[in-house]
Amino acid sequence: MTSLDFLLLSIILYVAAACGSLLFYKQEALASKLSGVLGTCAGIAGIAASIPTLLSGEVIVKAIYSPFYFSDFVIRLDGLSAFMLMVISLLVVATSVYSISYMKEYFGKGAYAMGFFMYSFIASMVALVVCDNAFYFIVFFEMMSLASYFLVIAEQNEKSVKAGLQYFLIAHAGSVLIMIAFYILYRETGSLNFAEFAKAELTDMQASAVFLLAFFGFGAKAGIITLHGWLPQAHPAAPSHASAMMSGVMVKIGVFGIIKVSIDFLGAETAWWGYVVLAFGCVSSVLGVLYALAEHDIKRLLAYHTVENVGIILIGVGIGMIGIAHDMPILATLGLLGGLYHLLNHAVFKGLLFLGAGSVIYRVHTKDMEKMGGLAKLMPLTAIAFLIGTMAISALPPLNGFVSEWFIYQSLLTMSKEGTLAMQSAAPIAVVMLAITGALACMCFVKVFGICFSGGARSPQAAKATEVPMTMVFGTGSLAVLCIILGVGSPWIAPVISTVASTLVDTQAVTVTQGFALIPSDASQAILSTPVIVITLTALFIVPIALVAMFKGPKMASRNAGDPWACGYGYEDKMSVSAGGVTQPVRSMFKPLYTLRKRIDPAPLMAKTLAGTTNGAGSLEPQFDNKMILPVVALVQRVGRVVQNLQYGDFRAYCLYIIVALLVLLFVPLNLGVN
Amino acid sequence: MQGLEMPSPDWIALAVFQALFMIGLAPLATGFTRVLRAKMHSRKGPGVLQDYRDIAKLLRRQEVAPNPSGLVFKVMPMVLIATMLLVGMALPTVTNSSPFPIAGDVITDIYLFAIFRFFFSLSGLDSGSVYAGVGSSRELTLGVLVEPILMLSIFTMALSAGTFDLGYISTYMATETWQVPGAVLLAGAACAFAVFIEMGKLPFDSAEAEQELQEGPVTEYSGSGFALVKLALGLKQLVVAQLFLALFIPFGKAAELTFSGVLMATPILLAKLFVVFLIAGVIENSVARTRFLKTYHLTWVGFGIAVLGFIFYLIGL
Repeated sequence: MTSLDFLLLSIILYVAAACGSLLFYKQEALASKLSGVLGTCAGIAGIAASIPTLLSGEVIVKAIYSPFYFSDFVIRLDGLSAFMLMVISLLVVATSVYSISYMKEYFGKGAYAMGFFMYSFIASMVALVVCDNAFYFIVFFEMMSLASYFLVIAEQNEKSVKAGLQYFLIAHAGSVLIMIAFYILYRETGSLNFAEFAKAELTDMQASAVFLLAFFGFGAKAGIITLHGWLPQAHPAAPSHASAMMSGVMVKIGVFGIIKVSIDFLGAETAWWGYVVLAFGCVSSVLGVLYALAEHDIKRLLAYHTVENVGIILIGVGIGMIGIAHDMPILATLGLLGGLYHLLNHAVFKGLLFLGAGSVIYRVHTKDMEKMGGLAKLMPLTAIAFLIGTMAISALPPLNGFVSEWFIYQSLLTMSKEGTLAMQSAAPIAVVMLAITGALACMCFVKVFGICFSGGARSPQAAKATEVPMTMVFGTGSLAVLCIILGVGSPWIAPVISTVASTLVDTQAVTVTQGFALIPSDASQAILSTPVIVITLTALFIVPIALVAMFKGPKMASRNAGDPWACGYGYEDKMSVSAGGVTQPVRSMFKPLYTLRKRIDPAPLMAKTLAGTTNGAGSLEPQFDNKMILPVVALVQRVGRVVQNLQYGDFRAYCLYIIVALLVLLFVPLNLGVN
Repeated sequence: MQGLEMPSPDWIALAVFQALFMIGLAPLATGFTRVLRAKMHSRKGPGVLQDYRDIAKLLRRQEVAPNPSGLVFKVMPMVLIATMLLVGMALPTVTNSSPFPIAGDVITDIYLFAIFRFFFSLSGLDSGSVYAGVGSSRELTLGVLVEPILMLSIFTMALSAGTFDLGYISTYMATETWQVPGAVLLAGAACAFAVFIEMGKLPFDSAEAEQELQEGPVTEYSGSGFALVKLALGLKQLVVAQLFLALFIPFGKAAELTFSGVLMATPILLAKLFVVFLIAGVIENSVARTRFLKTYHLTWVGFGIAVLGFIFYLIGL
């Protein structure tokens, strides 16, 4: 089978999973099992479709029949789209298997519909990354937004409906901007095909306008800061495997769009575009993690971390764009490599963390971290997978998060070393931002793991939690293994992503490996071999073990009992430090930045505008009645009332009428000509 | 500059040797600090070898862990030692180049310190003790405050030398004329400030102060686990001090890997370490602890110096 066959098979299976779920709406257990299994197969087919292109760099273009005369349905599987396809499919496999058990939570609450929306959501994303035509792109983009909107309002309570509305508003504000950008390109090229867009000859003004429109349009989907408001509301509201897909993949469609428009179509010719992306990346990363720190709701916290990681990805993309604009292919490739690598890594570890959070919620039935605690002993497999996820997102070597950040740091050094004054001064700002982000992320995830999984149980539900079913363990576990593979196996993975990056830059592939080690194109700048670090670290564990063995002596076995020390008072479980307590110093030190949070979010303003519009429409609509229909009705009624006075049911009055009528008839006929 | 490569066996031997040497030296360094403190307090403290005796005794004792503690609490001491040893292997201490350049890139080292911090503070939460938990929170907060200073000052150095590799920066500083001496000096000052905080000294941290916060996350450790943590904390002080020395005072080291060269460089290294610990000890014992929530006023100064250092680099001073 060719890649295209696999791709087609994958999409057909997604559609089958969606429809199958809908078909068996009466037997939800069967529906969720069926869609889960079909989804897993679809994911595997997707991986099979992407691998040949990723390895060989071969580009496959095929036009398929389109019912619309104005647009061709072109499928294009190039490096970038194959890479995105890979990211989506990897996560789909884990989440689909996970959902087989997890959906039990939603039986009787429309689980079959969730299955339908989930797989139509995924199918539209897969179709979106491979289609090569603006019309279909917009159609799939809208499908994706709509299907995910229904996933957000899955729980149907007031909170999720509100979150859904906000998401809907921002998503569509974004797609309007994207449509305008595409329209400008369409007007200049006369075609809706992306292949033609790439050849468009725009003036500087037009190009910048297209870039800004696309950047903010796709930025809304990616959740860059100022447009991030929907993330912390929408992600917690959706079921956990859906939030894993939304956070792990859907926001990346935003990044994909930014890369597609600014690098693929516009060629990233203007340097300040790159700086805009870089600046938004830096600010998003720091503020995202800072806001995450203040959260006690585990899924809201993870949602804010998505803002952070999208920021880091955009730093890489921004460096890449600056590199292209200044005609420095090595810098551009390194930056994009860092960004794309982080895109993949973030999908994996954030998917893992959302699924892990879902497992905990499945058992404890709350999203509030203060009510968890001590779960590591009760759910050991989930805890270990989750710990690996937290270490990966905190960028600890040798896991995957570290490798991508390492490349971004290296590209920043290259940029500062060889660039213009603007590049020289922009790089250290990004370095400092990344450093702060790293330290804050480390703090935040110590808090998450420490409060949820360590220490003693903080609520009765947490005390009687048990390990989740095996399919769910597979979901988190497989992603944890992937975190390790993507980190330790980086010398074999980085070249593949580097090739994708260099095709975007349109240059020769840059050497990023030397033997088992990673190098940032030049081995005199730095060298890193994650496999060797793993081996060395493991070997070094011998030293403390040997020390303990040497002084073994006749000591008693270690004891694991008794309460923690409480300064002489009786210990209570409530005495352990709270989630708020851990982050209190930082929250007090960075207070001004926290007050920013409400001001920079346009969502309340948008909601207010919408409320105003609906109110306006609400008051306008009865005007028609008030001004035209009601007066007529009132007139008729008044006349009626006057007439009514004539007949109030008195017998004498009727006699009077008859007499009056007779008198009138006696006189009037003469005038009317009746004889 | 020729490119970096995987280290040859003799370099690896040197790396392992220097890491083991450092762990052997760690109790001496902390013991020296104790002696110095006693002298400045005008009291007769224990001898300089006291920490060896403490650790040896603790290693023979039973370990008692509180009920809520779990796996993280158990593995933390070993993780600390292993990561610090790895950084210790990478540092160019007696030679100009890094003996283990695989981990000798500054970014990797700073993130290895992050592993240390991650597990150190997580174990505090894992023990379930509120004092350990508060200690963890403070440790992490200090990390947030120090990381930017450390990163920016080191980035300035990396730019001057054109590489992130510790060995190459070290060689550049030792052998070539500094292009931007002002920037190097300011970055050095900022880095020294950051390293001082990382060594866990007053006014930022008080290892042996009030009992309720003593050594923060370490509160619940006992027996052999406690011995390993003590060793690891001492080792970290030595490692960060040498990180600073490798970057900013890399003089008197062997250019080539020869036995005599290494032998010559060792006393110089020990003398430098003596001075660093002396200065750090004197500062530590002549200041009072700051209110923790006000610490960031002080670290802003450090960050300001680091920024100034970078601006000096940009204008070529």
